[in-house]
Amino acid sequence: MADAGSVIEAVRRSEDSRRRSLSAFALAFVAFGVAFAAIAAARGEVFFLRLATEALIFGGLALSADILLGYAGMLSLGQALFFGLGAYVSALVLKNVLPSFWLAMLVTLLVTTLIGLIAAVIATRARGVYFALITFGLAQVVAKVVFNTPSLGASDGIIGVPVIAIDLGVGQVTAASPAAFFLFCLAFIMALYCLCAYLARTPGGRVLAAIRSNEDRVPFLGYPVTRARMLAFVLAADVAALSGALYPVLRGFVSPELLYFEVSGNAIITVIIGGMGTLIGPLYGSALIVVLKSVIGSYTAHHLIVIGSLFVLAVIFFPQGLIGAVRPSLERRFALRAAPLRR
Amino acid sequence: MRTKSVITRLVAALAIGTSAPLFAQGNPIKIGVDTPLSGTYAPIGQQVKWGLELAAKEINAAGGVLGRPLQLTYEDGEANPAVATQKAEKLFQVDKVDFLTGTVNSGATLAVGQVAERNHRLMATTVSFADSITGDKCSPNVYRVNARAGQQSIALAEWLAKAKPKARVFFLGPDYEMGRSTVAAFKAAAEAKGAVTTGEVFAPLGNKDYSPFFGQIRAAHPDVLYTSVAGNDTVRLFSQLDEYGLLKGGMQIVGASGTVTSQNMGAIRKEAEGFVTGVGYSPEIDTPENRKFVKAFEAANKAPPDLYGADSYGVLYFYKAAVEKAKTTDTDKLRTAMADLEWMTPQGMKKMRAGDHQAIQDMYVVKLTGGEFKIISKVPGVAAIGPDECKRF
Repeated sequence: MADAGSVIEAVRRSEDSRRRSLSAFALAFVAFGVAFAAIAAARGEVFFLRLATEALIFGGLALSADILLGYAGMLSLGQALFFGLGAYVSALVLKNVLPSFWLAMLVTLLVTTLIGLIAAVIATRARGVYFALITFGLAQVVAKVVFNTPSLGASDGIIGVPVIAIDLGVGQVTAASPAAFFLFCLAFIMALYCLCAYLARTPGGRVLAAIRSNEDRVPFLGYPVTRARMLAFVLAADVAALSGALYPVLRGFVSPELLYFEVSGNAIITVIIGGMGTLIGPLYGSALIVVLKSVIGSYTAHHLIVIGSLFVLAVIFFPQGLIGAVRPSLERRFALRAAPLRR
Repeated sequence: MRTKSVITRLVAALAIGTSAPLFAQGNPIKIGVDTPLSGTYAPIGQQVKWGLELAAKEINAAGGVLGRPLQLTYEDGEANPAVATQKAEKLFQVDKVDFLTGTVNSGATLAVGQVAERNHRLMATTVSFADSITGDKCSPNVYRVNARAGQQSIALAEWLAKAKPKARVFFLGPDYEMGRSTVAAFKAAAEAKGAVTTGEVFAPLGNKDYSPFFGQIRAAHPDVLYTSVAGNDTVRLFSQLDEYGLLKGGMQIVGASGTVTSQNMGAIRKEAEGFVTGVGYSPEIDTPENRKFVKAFEAANKAPPDLYGADSYGVLYFYKAAVEKAKTTDTDKLRTAMADLEWMTPQGMKKMRAGDHQAIQDMYVVKLTGGEFKIISKVPGVAAIGPDECKRF
């Protein structure tokens, strides 16, 4: 029994240092964001603040892809389906019903949970590459339908989504102010991150990790695999859709391109570059990729070659992503600091 | 590509910085070009670029606009509205361009037009032909110097009414939004000129076998078949029409301007012979302005101009005329100057209609003859323009 106790103790310690190092990354992300906003606002920047806001929004999408890939071991090639769904629902509510941010978010959440459940029933029956293909197929089908539906603007999408003011109870944030809206999105996306990080530590989150490690064994321990996979799928769908719902608030339009494979594929690349299974890594990855794309794209039309090469190099030299490359030393430091106390 | 413009900007900045009072007049007027430089639409972006560069070179050699040179700054919009809007914002906010052009697909033009509106700057498209841009989705900040889809349909319908009065027309379109709207537009234009509709079918995009539709076409006995399929669908449709003998009875085939292009013409040189369509530009236009333009364009780029190259060339002369009339690059004063502005282009004089920001221009009907499009008819601008459907301003 003493042995089992010390194993549990060791696991707890390694989990503690892992969690603390990830929290440190999350805090650093917020600190970077706030510092960036302060400097950019002081300099009167508009473009870079709005570009960074876009990076946060696509970071939310990558976060949702990491829930599936990094925690449940499910490779979704169709997260753009839910990102685009959120964007369209939010655009339609803001433009045609009421320019209220919270109403748009509520409707997005309800619609996505429903459609996410239906998609989960179809997709989570399959495993591995078949799951990837089904998610890919579902997203393609929906993208084609939207592309050909005149009432959704067809190939042109929907323009004219109003610039709204977001009611925060104590005051208002207007989407017209680049710095204020950036900080709002930072808070919004970090709230989604905290929710996901919390859920990952609950028993349900542990079941997901167990499924990733050894799916066949989980049922023998008395946990239902299918239900856990479906819940993870719906959670990821909601996170992607709520991030997508911010897009029309920022850009004032939506178009079918938001549902395309390019967006889903980018989310996966972002997760891998940022650090799979870390949740915070995808946010760093998104900041890096969105900025790189924009800056390199301004200098050469061959930016995809540069991004592609970076991706290959990153996978070869930093297989654990940005976070994974830095984390071990950080974890050792936390472990060292914790160890003397216990002794 | 951008390095060069960065260097010129640095040099310009240094020159201005050291001798501001003397050369302030000479600081460049910046034109942002948000166009697809990579991907499927890159060949169109190439024509846009060639046309703009030729015009900028000519204008700058002749002393610029109000004594200021035009400077082009490019961004790759990838024909994706989500990318094009971000690039437009960079051009307006970071590069501080005075005017924007270059968008190709209508989704990008509409979304970028909204960015221009929110940044209080003007833009013009030289390529997009969706009617909505200067119709129900018009914007006070967006202009179109090229012909829209409606003008092409009306020009073709005008010709049809003269060549084959009261023609019996059968319509065959690709089954997607753009395909259906082009068919609807031509149908309305042709019926208004007395044509009779005998049937209408839509085949899936990328359809392999058109023969199931041929029975209907035969039974309807049309004089004219209108189609708006494009790319390889056109190749399959024309070869199958030929194989099934439908081209023998003297049925005239007409279609959208994108149906038979240089890209697919090679495969159906024989079958597509005699195909007629309405266009806003042809390198064949026999005017001194166009001959001079085609010669200069071919000398500079070792390739002939198409309608995109010609209209992109023309847009800088439109902007020049407006700035010279307003004597400033201020957005509101320019908008006033652009109302009903007339300017010279390779296609002849164009007039910017104040009510919807759509250019009025002469339209041409061309016929495929011996593998080349020959002009067979010219429709005056006012006859082809159609009603002003913009209600926003």
